[in-house]
Order: sequence, then structure tokens, then C-alpha cells
Amino acid sequence: MAPARTPLSLYVHWPYCSFLCRFCAFSKARVPASGVDHALVTRALLAELRTSLAPHSKDKELRSIYFGGGTPSLAQPAHVAQIIEQASRLVPLAANAEITLESNPTSAETNKMAAFKAAGITRYSIGIQTLDDGVLQRMGRLHSGAEALAAANRAASLFPGHVSLDMMFGFESQTVDQWQRELETVLAHANGHLSLYQLTVEPGTPLFRDIRAQRVKRNPDDTLALMYETAVALCRSRGLAHYEVSNYAASPESQSAHNIGYWQGRQWIGIGPSAHSRFIDPASGTCLRTVCIPDIQRWVRSCLEHGHGTAKTETVDDAEARQEAVVFGLRMLDGLSNSRFMRTGCVSSGALSLAEYLRVDQVQRYVRDGYLRSSGSLDHLAPTERGLQVIDSILLDILP
Amino acid sequence: MRRAWKHSLVGCALSCSQRYKTWQSMATACGYLRKASMKSEGYASKADRLGAEIDITGYTPDRIRNFSIIAHIDHGKSTLADRLLETTGVITKSGKNKQVLDKLKVERERGITVKAQSASMFCEHDGRKYLVNLIDTPGHVDFSYEVSRSLAACQGTILLVDAAQGIQAQTVANFYLAFGEGLAVIPMLNKVDLPTAEPDRAALQIESAFEIDAANIVHLSAKTGLGINRVLPSVIERIPAPSGSIDAPFKALLFDTWYDKYVGVVCLMAIKDGAVRRGDRVVSMHSGTRYEVMEVGIMHPEQRPATQLQVGQVGYVVCNMKSVAEAHVGDTFHKDKFPVVPLPGFAPAKSMVFAGVFPLDAGEFDKLNESIQKLTLNDSSVAVHKETSAALGQGWRLGFLGTLHMDVFRQRLEEEYDASVLVTAPTVPYRVQYKDGTSKYIQTPADFPTAIEIQDKVDAVMEPFVLATLIFPEQYLGAMLELCTMHRGDIHTHTYLDESRVMLKCRMPTAEMVTDFYDQLKSRSQGFASFDYEDNGYNESDLVKMEVLLNGEAVDALAAVMHRDNVATVGRTMAKRLKDVIRRQLFDIIIQTAANGKVVARETVKQLRKNVTAKCYGGDISRKMKLLNKQKEGKKRMKKIGRVELPQEAFLSVMTGSKE
Repeated sequence: MAPARTPLSLYVHWPYCSFLCRFCAFSKARVPASGVDHALVTRALLAELRTSLAPHSKDKELRSIYFGGGTPSLAQPAHVAQIIEQASRLVPLAANAEITLESNPTSAETNKMAAFKAAGITRYSIGIQTLDDGVLQRMGRLHSGAEALAAANRAASLFPGHVSLDMMFGFESQTVDQWQRELETVLAHANGHLSLYQLTVEPGTPLFRDIRAQRVKRNPDDTLALMYETAVALCRSRGLAHYEVSNYAASPESQSAHNIGYWQGRQWIGIGPSAHSRFIDPASGTCLRTVCIPDIQRWVRSCLEHGHGTAKTETVDDAEARQEAVVFGLRMLDGLSNSRFMRTGCVSSGALSLAEYLRVDQVQRYVRDGYLRSSGSLDHLAPTERGLQVIDSILLDILP
Repeated sequence: MRRAWKHSLVGCALSCSQRYKTWQSMATACGYLRKASMKSEGYASKADRLGAEIDITGYTPDRIRNFSIIAHIDHGKSTLADRLLETTGVITKSGKNKQVLDKLKVERERGITVKAQSASMFCEHDGRKYLVNLIDTPGHVDFSYEVSRSLAACQGTILLVDAAQGIQAQTVANFYLAFGEGLAVIPMLNKVDLPTAEPDRAALQIESAFEIDAANIVHLSAKTGLGINRVLPSVIERIPAPSGSIDAPFKALLFDTWYDKYVGVVCLMAIKDGAVRRGDRVVSMHSGTRYEVMEVGIMHPEQRPATQLQVGQVGYVVCNMKSVAEAHVGDTFHKDKFPVVPLPGFAPAKSMVFAGVFPLDAGEFDKLNESIQKLTLNDSSVAVHKETSAALGQGWRLGFLGTLHMDVFRQRLEEEYDASVLVTAPTVPYRVQYKDGTSKYIQTPADFPTAIEIQDKVDAVMEPFVLATLIFPEQYLGAMLELCTMHRGDIHTHTYLDESRVMLKCRMPTAEMVTDFYDQLKSRSQGFASFDYEDNGYNESDLVKMEVLLNGEAVDALAAVMHRDNVATVGRTMAKRLKDVIRRQLFDIIIQTAANGKVVARETVKQLRKNVTAKCYGGDISRKMKLLNKQKEGKKRMKKIGRVELPQEAFLSVMTGSKE
């Protein structure tokens, strides 16, 4: 029997959007007036894919592929198929590998949904954000709430049990009642998975500037907390379990395997402009974090000339790796097991248990106060619902 | 033989240019210039230095002038000093000589002089050679005792006034100090080249404020050099030569000291009678301690050894003194077995303001202890007592000459020693007189008697007062009167210095001055008012202790003493300020201020409900980790009282005086 292969994830960044949302801080560009040179971008992605996956062909197995962006539903299904095919030729694709595509619910994209399924996509994620047409328009999104629900229905028929709907809460002037009603509607159209994000005002976004200039008001923190609590309760009552800060699933099979990979410290390769990777370099055995060139043109040129668009490579030392394992492990309500922590992929200096690593007195205090759950002598550590809400404060106390 | 001679000449040239370079870098770099020079010259080369001893025995009192310059901040004292040192060749004209005498970084940043520095110059006047000593005085009222001792080392002073700004409160205070020492005062107008200069008006102000003749006043521009050649001749002609006799027993006034890590304490002395040289044994009249003189010399502008210092001269004496605590400014020195009548005016440094200093992290105590010791090595005017606070643990209660002195000390502590310190709000020394006839000075609010103790055991509670002088354009008269009244001030007089400038004298509690008084003064007068003060004794006062409770627990480090009339407003302000600076935590924090067992104000910092980052995927990970580490750093700068985390600002929000 061949030795077990190490799980690996692949992230593919498609950088273009047909419209730019005012809150978005991701790396993206509006589709140029002359249109996207699809063949060129695909060529660059394939080149980078070959270079970055090849070293992992011997001992890894692809557990998930995620097409993010940007708006990857603007890509051509044939090109998506080419990328999946090439990836699986380089590193074997696991039997039940999850292959997700992010999309916007415009009717043009909805029409391509079946073609994406044919291309190999197994999970479909739709950015609804809100059903309020006024807010959609103010945030710069070129679709309506009705279109979004139509897209959700279409996806449910094509990807039963593997549809994710993205929503945001906390828009200016949104009330807790409005949010609850919107969520009720979306829940009626949900098919397996919801991602519910608090609107985050990131520096550098138009929304950030609007708020700084006091053109737009922020909802008070306590209102946002109430919206979050409302979402947790409502989803639970409809059978969607809260499993990560912003994520809810009808069953373990409906969870996002790809994103769980990030929170559990799995190795991943990212390709495309501004994509990050984190993996153990097979040549040196050290853990590396790389970032690709963010500018699309320069990234394309680099990929075509050098076979990759990596701009920066850093090593992740043991201290960082351990810290990341706790910070991201505790974003999930399932938490972090000591055995997983001790196997933290990147650590080279020998295993350290959670009990040896964390400030145990602080952990015990938070367990006593109902913020954390732990079993045995820290065989397992997880946040409670109450703890997850303030986990950023708790981490500051329990980390060494 | 000849070769050897040539060789030594080359060596000398090298060391000279090295020294020149050292000076250049010293003049441009901030920081401890004196220290830097010591390091680079190295005391190892003592033989060279002794070989270079100069002989100044030919300068008898009639060929010596000792003077100082008194001026308001920014009126150009340091620039004038630079120009005088240049014209007499003490320093080179490099264009880089900016405030050569202000050696501390904080001094340059704030444009003030904290430690007095002095320099000797040689010049010719009417065909005769003179040794002229410039004795620099600290420019701030906190250091008025040091100013008065520096003045006691001179026979005259230049009263330097900015021709555009006219006389300011500090000019007045310093003038009266000089006048009190019986010095000859030569008024001079600086910055006459400025387009806004009004020399006639400034001269008029000088005449009306000081009743001195300003008819032949010297017009200067220290910046451009205009009129500089008239300065030293005026000094020589109008300031009397020092008195004293070479035949009388040695007698000297110690007026400044600093610590040098190679030789110990360096003392600046004005020789009043007799002479002193290496090998002499001298005695401090204050302590009776004997010292052997290792080296004497003049500041030129760095230490330059001399064969002997004698009557009328001013210079440094190195005498095996180990700690500045032994060197008392104002002390008289004499030769062993030849006692003299001590010079008048000696007084030990008196603290006007106290503050608690604590390490943020108890593990840093030893490091901070070392830092405080090092700093007080060079500043004996800081009073140091150990203090233990229930809330903050082990620390110190430090006494300062004034709020500026305190700020300077804290800044030095932070800058030079990278100390993470927590400084509590400043308080003044209250005096409690008990019914049993005893009395006690209260340096920390935690020690202030409770309402019941006051009722049962206390005869009177006294608080210190100052007499403040404010000078400002007349349109601010209303605002200034209001400011003084609001701070429990008692207006004594207001007089017109000319048709538009007013001088106001007001007596007020010192506690009022250590709050935001100075900031208020500046903002209400749009920066045009100047302010100075002097101690003015103690008065009985109706004082109470205000306590701060966090979740029901009194925090001793946040307690404050204040006048009963202020309790309601200050109590509310304090609670509100604390609410603003305390961050939300995982539980409600109830802030209460209470006096005489009664809660005055209550505020709540609501429990934190949610702070988790919404999105965290592949590309967000580095950003999230950076943020986390920044937050961890921020948390280290918090002080935990029970479970409540307090930022440094919390301790400063407890100000006792009257507020808007």
C-alpha cells in the first residue's frame, strides 16, 4: 500500500469584477472596457499552477480547490475546467475533493452555472450580501435581491446540499428587525450553507472614506453584536449549525472543507495576483508563506516570463506556527484538539502540547467563566458561543 | 631627538583635529554633549591634559567679569551666548553652533535650560586683557533656587528682552531675583532686525516695570550678529569687578554640579577669596566632609585644566566627590583647617510637586530603580522615597521642583532609559496640623486623613500657595481675571506696563497650578500671556480626599485631594474621563468617585459584547497575526488593578484642580 498522502488545498484567484463594491478590500480590478483577455490570464494561471504544484506531486493529495476573487464566475467555464484538469494531473485529486466557485448573482452568471458544474465545480457560493435593493445599489452592486434569490434556487437544483449563500449585516441604517427578516428569507432559499459576515470597514475602501468623512454612519457596536446573536439563534432554529465565526452548515458534509483547511493549518497553494500560499517547502523542509504580485499586468508578465508571480517569500517560524494554530483553531466552535496542535504542520522544533504552550491559569479562568470549553488536561480546547464572540480578547490573555 | 619632536607634533595635530571633529558632532548632535566629549577624549589621556594646564593667575579681580544673561524663553539667550563664544574664539564660527550651552536633548526640544552651564572667554578691551565668565542660568521658574545661586556667582547680568515681544512674566521674575542679589543689570534688546520689532516700546516697558534707565539701551540681533561687538565692552564697563582678596583664606560658592562617570562629581565654583589648586584639601561647610582636589580648570567650553583658580574666577573643581547628593548648590567650601564665614542664602532643594512612579511590570522594578538612581545622580533636586501602593505595587514617590521639572525627568527616564513607567497625577505637599500639636506633610493622596480623622484629630489642613505673575496684552484682561478666579486665585494687583500690556499678580493654591492652568492660560490668551510664580507660604484650606472605586474597590493610586468646593464638578469630570480612557472588557466596569463616604459620580464601562474578526481566510492570516501582536503590545502597556485594565492616561485623568 502506498504511504498516505498529505492533504493540500489549492486557491485560484480570479482578479476581475464587473462592478466594485464599496466595502471590498480584496485585490480586484474592474473588467477593462476592451474586455478581459481570458486566454492570457488562463495561460498565466496555468504557468503558475505548474511551477507551484509540481514540487508537491509526490507526497500530496488535493483535498479542495477554491476559485475566489474578484469574481471567478466571470471566467469562462472551459478555462476553469482546464485549471482543474491540470491541477489534478500535477497532484492527485482526492475522491471527494471539494471544488468551489464564488459567484455574483447577476443573470449572466446564473446562466453559466450548469457549464461550471460540467467543468468540475462541486460547490457553488453566491454573494448575495443583502436583499435590500437600495443598499445593493449604494454599495455598488449590479444585481437585485430578486435575481439573487433566483440564482440561489438555480444553484440548489444543480448543487443540492452544496450551495453557500453569502450575506452581510450591519449596513448603515439597517435595523436588527430588518436583518432578521432578510435572514428569514434567505434561510428559506438556503441549501446547505450560509456565510454571514458583519460588514467590516477596512482601510483603503470607499466605505472607509465615506465613514471617515461622516457621509455614512456606522452602526453602534452593540447593535452589531445583537445582529450577530440574532443570526446565531435564527440559524440554529432552522437547523443550520454555527461552526465558525461567520459560517453555518446544515450538516458536516455541507461545511466548507476548503476554509476549514485554513483554520486547521492545512498547507495550501494560492495562484493568481495577490494570492497567498503557506506550505512546507519539500526541498528544505521549512514552512514558507508566499504572496504573489498584486498588480494584474505585472503578475501576468512574471508568470509568462518566470513561470510564477511570487513577490515575497517568508519563513514561518515555530512560534508563529503555534500562535496561528491557536488563533485560527479557536475560530471554530469545534475548537482545536491537542493532537492536531501537536502535529501543527510547520513546527520543526519538536512537539509542544496545548497545556505546555498556553497560559493554563488564564485558560482555566475562561473555562470557569463559561467562555471556553476544555476536556481532560487540555486534550481539546474550544470556545463557547459566548466565548467566540469575544475570542480576540481571550486570545490576548491565553497566548504566551 | 629631532625626529621624536616631529613625531609628537604629528600626534598633536591629529588629536587636535580629532577634538575639532568631536566638537562638531557634539554641536550638531543633541543628547549629552558633555558626556559624549568625555567618552571620545577619554580620561586615559590625562597626562596630555595636565600638560595643557593653563595659567590664569595673571587675571586678578580687576581683569575679571562674571555675568549672566536673564531672559524669557525664546528671547534669544542661548543664541547670544553662542555669538559671544564665537567672537571670543571659544567655539568656531561654523554656523552649526545652535545653543551650545543647552546640552540636554530636552533642553533643545523645549527651548529651555534645565541645568546651568557656564563658559569662560578671554577678550581685550582698551588694550587690557580680560577673563569674562558667562554663567548661564536655568531659564525656568521651577529652578528659581538654582537661578538665584547662579546669580550669586556673578556681579552683573544682561537683561535680554525680545524687541518684538516686550517683557514677559519670566523676565520680571528673573529681574527681581537679580535685583535681590544686588547685581548690576544691563538691559539689552534682542531681535531688533525683525520687522515686527518695536524697540522703543520694549524700552518703555523696561523703564516702567523695573524703574531702570533704558536710554542707552544696546540694540542687538544675536542671530545676525548685529551689535554683538558692543556686548562685552558693556559688560566690562558696567559690571563691577568681583571683590575679595587673594590673601584671605580660600572661600568658594558651589553653584552647579554634574556627574561624570570617569571622575565623579564635577563642581562649578565661584572663588570668593584666596585660591585653590590640585592637591589642596577642601571642606564643605554644609556637611563638613573633606575632599582632596584632583583637578581645577575653566569651562572653555569643555573642561580645560588650569594651574590654579583664584579670587574672582569661576571654574570647575574635581575633588573625589562620589555622588551629586553630596554637592549642595549654594554650599560654601573652604580649605581644611581654615574655616570661613559661610556665604548667605543656602537652602536645600524643596519639592513643590510630587508624583508616584511605578513600573508597568513588577518584574521591571530593579531596572527602573537603576534608571532612577542614574538620573538622580545628576539631579539632586529630585527627592526620592520608596512607596508601596496597594494597586500598583512597589514604586517611588518623587518630589520635583515644579511640573516642568517633573515632565523633564519623566521624559529623560523614558528617552534615556527606555523605561515603561507609570506616573501618577501630580500632587502638592499638604500640611496637616494635628490637635496634639504635631504636624505632617502629605506627599501622597493615599496618606491624606479621612473625613472622620479630620473631624476627630486634625486642627487644620494647610495647602501651599504661589504668587503668580501674568503678563499679557490688555484685550485678554477679562479672560485672565476669569482664569485666576476660577482657579481659586486671589487677585492682588493689575498694572499697565505700557498703554497695552498688563501685569497681573495673583495668589493661588499651588494645586491649581499643577493642573491644566498653563494650557488654559495659553489657549485663553491665544498664546500671548506669559506666566511665572514664586512660593507664597501655606494657608488653611477646606480640603477633602476624593476616592475612585472600580467595581466597588477603592484604588489608592487614583485618590486625589481637592478643595471641598470642587468636589462635585471634579468628581464628575474624573469619572467621565476614566470612562473615556478605560476600554471595554468582558465585564461591566463601574467607576465611582466618592468623597466623605458619599458617592459623587458614577459611570459604567459596559461589558464588551463582540470583537471577533468577521473574516479570516488564507490572505487575511498575516494581517490578523500582525494585528494580534500589536494588540498584545498594547496590552503590555496596561496596568491591571484586580481584573480591570487601566491605561496610563487613567492615572493622569485624576487632576484635582478646578476645571471647565
